[in-house]
Amino acid sequence: MINTALYKREMKGSIKLLIIFGAVITMYVSIIITMYDPQMMKMLDGFVEAMPELMAAVGMKTSAASLLGFMVSYLYGFILLIFPMLFCILRGNALIAKYVDKGSMVSLTAAPIKRRTIAFTQMNVLVSGIILLVFYSTIVELICAGSSFQGELDITALLILNGGLLCLHLFIGGICFLSSCIFSDTRYSVALGAGIPALMYVLQMLANAGEKAEWAKYFTFFTLFHPEGLIAGENSAIAGIFILLAGAVILYAAGIMVFERKDLSI
Amino acid sequence: MSVIEIENLVRDYGDGKGVFDISFHVDQGEAFGFLGPNGAGKTTTIRHLMGFLKPKAGKCTIDGLDCWREREKVQARLGYIPGEISFFDDMTGTEFLKFIAQYRKISTQSRKEELLERFELDPKSKIKKMSKGTKQKLGIVAAFMHDPDILILDEPTSGLDPLMQSRFVSFVAEEKKHGKTVLMSSHMFEEVERTCDRIGIIRKGRMIAVDSAAALHERHTRSYTVTLENETAAEAFAADFDGICSGTKVTVTTKQSLEEIFMNYYGGEENDQHGTI
Repeated sequence: MINTALYKREMKGSIKLLIIFGAVITMYVSIIITMYDPQMMKMLDGFVEAMPELMAAVGMKTSAASLLGFMVSYLYGFILLIFPMLFCILRGNALIAKYVDKGSMVSLTAAPIKRRTIAFTQMNVLVSGIILLVFYSTIVELICAGSSFQGELDITALLILNGGLLCLHLFIGGICFLSSCIFSDTRYSVALGAGIPALMYVLQMLANAGEKAEWAKYFTFFTLFHPEGLIAGENSAIAGIFILLAGAVILYAAGIMVFERKDLSI
Repeated sequence: MSVIEIENLVRDYGDGKGVFDISFHVDQGEAFGFLGPNGAGKTTTIRHLMGFLKPKAGKCTIDGLDCWREREKVQARLGYIPGEISFFDDMTGTEFLKFIAQYRKISTQSRKEELLERFELDPKSKIKKMSKGTKQKLGIVAAFMHDPDILILDEPTSGLDPLMQSRFVSFVAEEKKHGKTVLMSSHMFEEVERTCDRIGIIRKGRMIAVDSAAALHERHTRSYTVTLENETAAEAFAADFDGICSGTKVTVTTKQSLEEIFMNYYGGEENDQHGTI
């Protein structure tokens, strides 16, 4: 089902992005975790009190008492959402639509390889990249928290939280992949693959910002990823990530089916 | 026995673009030349054979296999040179050929080496930096590396210098001798003349003539007999104009080139390339 030669080539193509985003994540995660100390917390809480809308818009809320709560407030509202999302957008578009647009898809389709295999391989490349990024973030978090604040991190809760994060990004990757399979023109593939996640993120910011705009949360899939709920072990939060996972499976399967049936003017 | 078979293929892109009710076949061991101006529908037809496009009506088969539904089976036997060469720009030629070999699971290297030597291709540089002709050579090597027995060539010599063009033409002729089936689209009349047994002419998406290359010639051959003042002059004349000399009479035959034949079919309407505006 998977073509090893193609998988290897595309993973090589992912490395540069993975390294860049890995470095950015390392930097932010280590800085933010070392910033954790109860006194600093008071100061940040002060900011939240002074300008609640602005802080809430970037996902920072008050009462982040524990280390994990602190990390949720300062990492899971922006950094760990945006960078893997950018990876999904860039790679998702490059894996199918760019090749069709440029015509180099000919090299892949003019061979006794099923289109399903091509699409499935490219999907695996995207999913592998997402897993690597989330896995790497988890390792960095564990190392930073372990070295600076030994014993303070609830590791099980962190693993559940990052499992949820993984499902969220697999879902975003699914949107990018499907849009890449549908459109033969990178402009449209990017417009939809980047546009939908970006719009959803803006709605999420809006929903976080104020009570008047809380209605927005019903229009964004980011609501399904609820870090505080996951840490607390709420059933609704767990259900949310399963919905994201199921959605991701449907999106990838749809992408492969579309690519199998579409006309390629290459 | 026909290997490539197209029956009443239709694909309408609107504005008179596309192909309309095209039918032809290519027999085992035959070379078929597919001639037509830009935008006539050559590449569209070929894309159907490659399984890139699904026929709106009619059907395409290769060796009895449906080109759309059973495309990966068909592909195993095909060698294809696309009309517009676009490879992975980030690779060098060597890397690309290695990739294609692994991707297609080709084990033998000997044929690749032979082709590289034959077309004097040094694939070490980045594909992005290659000239059009070098890319074309790379496309040729990539298409023939797995020793296919059906060749679909979409304007295969574009970008090649005259020496390489004739080397390619003799290569195709050799392949044909080995019993391979060839479909070659071109606007190079000369190379089609030299390689193909039968020729189909397409215009505005419709086949306007399918005939053997020889028959097309015969139809357009004219002879003239000239009488000269003495035998020496006649001999010189015969030598200069490739005529047959008998006494003071010389018979000269003009073989109208395929280009002229082609112009006969196209004459009168000059704006084929631009379509109707």
